[in-house]
Parts: sequence; structure tokens; C-alpha cells
Amino acid sequence: MLRTNDDILIKRNLTALVEFSRAVNSSLSLEFTLNNLLLSCFGKFLTTRGFVALNSKGFFTPAAYKGISREEMEKFPSISSGNDELAKSEMKSYMAGHNLQVCEPINSSRGVLGCIVLGEKINKSGYSEDEIEFLRTILNISATSIENSMFVEELRGLNRDLDQRLNRLSSLFELSKEFGALIDEERISKLLVYSLLGNFLVSSYSVCYLDETKLKVIESTIPKQPVLDFVNQINLQAISVPVGTDQINTNYSALAALKVELIIPMKYQNETRGLILLGKRMNQSPYSDTDIEFISSIGNLAIISLENRRLFKEALEKQRMEEELEIAKDIQKNLLPKEMPSLKYYDVAAVTVPSKQVGGDYYDIIRAAEEKLYLAIADVSGKGVPASLLMANLQAFLKSIAMQNLPISQATGLLNNLVSENTSEGRFITFFWCKLSTDEKKLIYVNAGHNPPLLIRDRKIRYLDKGGMIFGVMKTMVPYAEEEVELQKGDIIVMFTDGVTEAKNRADREFSDEKFENLLTGVSPDLTANEILQKIRSAIDEYVEGFPQSDDITMIVVKVL
Amino acid sequence: MSEFFTNIKQQNQVNIVELGGYLDAHTAPQLENVFSELIKEKKFNVVVNFEQLSYISSAGLGVFMAFIETMRENKGDIKLAAMKPNVFNIFDLLGFPLLYEIFSSENEAIEKFIKQ
Repeated sequence: MLRTNDDILIKRNLTALVEFSRAVNSSLSLEFTLNNLLLSCFGKFLTTRGFVALNSKGFFTPAAYKGISREEMEKFPSISSGNDELAKSEMKSYMAGHNLQVCEPINSSRGVLGCIVLGEKINKSGYSEDEIEFLRTILNISATSIENSMFVEELRGLNRDLDQRLNRLSSLFELSKEFGALIDEERISKLLVYSLLGNFLVSSYSVCYLDETKLKVIESTIPKQPVLDFVNQINLQAISVPVGTDQINTNYSALAALKVELIIPMKYQNETRGLILLGKRMNQSPYSDTDIEFISSIGNLAIISLENRRLFKEALEKQRMEEELEIAKDIQKNLLPKEMPSLKYYDVAAVTVPSKQVGGDYYDIIRAAEEKLYLAIADVSGKGVPASLLMANLQAFLKSIAMQNLPISQATGLLNNLVSENTSEGRFITFFWCKLSTDEKKLIYVNAGHNPPLLIRDRKIRYLDKGGMIFGVMKTMVPYAEEEVELQKGDIIVMFTDGVTEAKNRADREFSDEKFENLLTGVSPDLTANEILQKIRSAIDEYVEGFPQSDDITMIVVKVL
Repeated sequence: MSEFFTNIKQQNQVNIVELGGYLDAHTAPQLENVFSELIKEKKFNVVVNFEQLSYISSAGLGVFMAFIETMRENKGDIKLAAMKPNVFNIFDLLGFPLLYEIFSSENEAIEKFIKQ
């Protein structure tokens, strides 16, 4: 009778084992296997509480639990799977505190896989030797299955990891393709942001970028002003490596207040040119090292693209400016007199050779009345568009004042007043003009700080240097002096700008006043004004030997007939 | 490569955005415009039907992140439906199922809105 009972019990146990074995081996899902193990134990031992903890890096980590609340499970301490005395007592104290009675290890050939912990039986009878033996058998059967499932799980994790890396690689590829094609700042920053949002499940972010010297927040869900204030306050170069949450909390409280958890510098040629600020990830995960690496990569891609865009714009701008300069040169050329007057007593020739840039030289010939002709020459300080603007200004004043029929010294004072009102600090004009009487051989001139024109008579030089202060420095306080000069047949008057005497050769030596004056005192009296002009030009050309000049060269030559 | 397209329709106060083709960094701005427009019109209940979408990149996913908060702050939501397996895999890989409700059909997604 007893034997029969035992037989039945053994048979029942065997059936249970076979069933269990079939069930746990039918699936590679760890969750299914562990659930099945727990349920089988509950059914066999009539208990209602229990959990399985698996060995994860040397510590038991709960992997499945039933009849135990999540709160209780969360209180499970970190217990070593090394089976030492400390671990044993820790496990005992947790079991005692949570109404659990049995703890058995799950072993495989490779070592401790985990353990199962079960609560007391419903009939409170305690676990018998046989029952513990049966539990061990079940655990032995489960071990292989659990091990396989763990392995599969691990593979799955690895696969997912690989997939994630693959996805990031394709993100990088996609972005570099787009960034290469784009030059629009807004699209660059949008794509950068989309990529960050998609890959990291963040919704709180800010991207700022140093556009030359101006810091711009280009994309942001974080309030822009505090971000700007922060970045303006720190030195951008101080952030050369990614800054994590802990460092933000200790060092950058302003950003911590904005819930920024990660700062990634965007670097161009090893210089921080922008920052990516990210808030919390919506799945609550922290940013891993590979995450940070990936964000840095796309940040750097974006900054290269932004920099390229800027350089492209700069090149365009430069090209546009060069075109404008060409136009300015053209306009300037058109301001100059187009033809020389033909006069009874005078032969007049003039030339201006602009340097590479738009220069500040100016000459004019204004017929004010039948018997009056004004010749003017001026050199505006500086070069480029500002100088040519001032020159155009001067011309306008000059043309209208010349028509006023004022004494030339008074007219000069007026001109200076007008110019002074229109010049900014540090700009000035040296100016010389004379009024030729067309019905007699006489001129009257005023020199406002211009290098003195030369009057050559009988191979001797007289400097026309009476006048006053240069234009543009202050309003006329002291009236300009004027001087009247009686002229004779054969007199040569040469007005010029310092580009003539300061023309430089390759050795950086100037043509000089001396050479210029020697040349002029040596000219044959038979030459026309234009021939004299050409003679001076070829002397200069010979001297500089094609060396590009930084200053305009302007001359007016008058020969008295 | 199939051209990206969007199509909007409305059913029971729910706005359905149908997507097709390739959604990547290049086409993402188009979808962004669709969402901006919906927000401007105060349409916050959105179902996105992915049935005809053959590819999505992470930049494409970013667009959904960019608008979800606004929709939810206005008591709406973006629910996703009818994804092809390769599209779902990307969403899954980047952890979207945690934050978004993903349905196998457009109708299920619409019903969820109606029940709410």
C-alpha cells in the first residue's frame, strides 16, 4: 500500500517533470521560461509568492516575480552571487522580512546562473527534504533552458546594439550627404535638430553658433535669452569637451536651472564654434559615451557645413564688392572732364592713372564764364569707396561754388566749410585751384595744403604755394590767401598729386621731387602740353618698371601760348 | 526612390496624415510644414498612417519629437498606425514605443481618440 502510494507520487512527480521540461524547452524566451518555472513551483509546492533572480555581473538581479509587489521587489538589495557568508546573511534577512522561505541556486556548468526564492506554503507546513530535492531537479532541468534563453537575450541585445550603431552610421551618412548639398543655415540647423530628436528622444534642446563674432541661437526649445546670456558670459573655448549632468550642476547652475543635461561643443579646426545643449531624454535614459560621441560627430558635421556656408557667403560678398568697386571706378572716371577746352592763350592737358583701388585723386576743369576757366586738382585722404564718395561731394560743391563769381579766396573758404561739414574724423582733402583769365595771360590761385604746383619759366621753378589749411580739418577761421601770377609765353604750369613724385619702384624708392623737377626744367620749349605730359608719364613708367602703384597718378599741364 | 508625399484627411475630429515614399533628412521639412499647419489650425488630434511609407530615417523620426509636446500640451496626441515592419523597427530601435502609441491600423488609432 505504502509502495503504491510512493509509486503514484513518483509517477506524478515524473509526469510533472516531463511536462515542465517540455514546456521550458519549447521556448527561448527568458520571460516565458522563468514564468513557467515560477508557476510550476507554485503548483507543485502550493505557494503564492516567489521570484527568480539572475546573476548579472556577479550580483543577483530579480528577473521574474509573482505574488510579490513591485515595491517589495524594488527593496531587494544588491546581493553578491558569490555564495559567501555576507551574501547568505543578506539573502536571509531579505527573505525573513518578506515572508519567503526557500532559496535555491540555479547552477549550470558555467557557474551560478541565478537563484529562486519561494514563499511559505499555503498550508504552512514547510518544505520537506523530498520537496527540496524535487525543486533542485526542476532547477537542473531549467538551468540549460535559462542559460540558452539568457544567451539568446544577450545576442538580441548585441543585435540591437549593432542595429543602433548601423542606424547611427546611416544617420551620419544621411546628414553628411545633406549638409554637403545645403548652404542654407536654417536647414542645416533643422536637420541637426531632427537627427538629435529622432535618435535620442529629446524635446528640449538649444543649438548656438558663433557666426564670425556674433553668437546666435539657431534652434531652441529652451528659452533663448538665458542661453545667450550664459554663453556670452563664459568663454566658448572653455567648453572644448562634452559636459555631463554632474558637471553642469556644479559648474553651470544657470543651465542646470534650464534642465540642461548635456553640453556638446561643436568644433571646427579644433576650435569651439558652437554648442549643442540637450535636456532630459523622454525615455529617462542617461546619455552614454557612444551617444555623446555620436552627437559630437553630427555637431561637427553641422559646424563644418555652417562654416562652409559662411565662407561661401563671404566669397560671394567679396565678389560683389569687387563688382561694386568696378562700378565706383567707372563712375569716378565719368566725373572727370571728358575733353580739354581749346583756348587762345593756353594749351591744357590732363591725365589720371588710377591705382588698383578706387582712389581719391580728382581734377576738374570748369568753365565758369566766357573769360574764366577754373582748373582744380585734389587728393582725398584714404582710398576706396569712402574716398571716392568724398571726392564726388567735393566736385558737387566745387561746380556750384565756381558759378557764384566770388573772389577765389572767399570761394575756397566756403568750400572748406562745406567739406568740413561732410567729413568725419581723420579725413581731409588737399586742394589746389586756379582761375585762368582766358582773355589775358594771368592766373590767380589758392593752395589748400596741396603739394605746390610748379610754374616753370626759363628753366626755373616757382612754387605756387600761397593759400591756407587743408580741407576737412575744421571750418575756415583764417581766410585763405590768394596769389595772382602774370604769365608769359612759354610758361609751363604743372599741377600734380603726390602719386607722381612718390611713384615707387621695386626697391621701394620714390621717383622724388628732385627727379621730377629736373625733368621739367629740362623740357624743350617746343613741346605741347600733351607732349610734356607724356614725357613725364614715360619717365615715371621707366622708373617704376611696371611695379604696381598704390596711389593714383594725376596731372594737369598748362602751356602758355 | 519613391517620392515622399503627405495627404491629410479628417474623420470624427481626428486628423489623419497619410505618408508615403521616403521620409529622410531631405524630405523631413515637408512633414514639418504639415505639422506646423495642423498646429496653426488648432488640430491637435493626429493619426499618422504609415501604410505607404517605405523608408524612414532618424531625422524623419525627429519631426515627430519636435511636435509631440505641443500636441499633448493642447490635450491632443500624435498616434502612429499601420507601419511596415522595416519602418516599425526604426521606431522600436530608437525607443519610440515608450512614448507613442503605435497601432496596427488607422481605425484602431482613430477609435482610441474617440474613446478618450
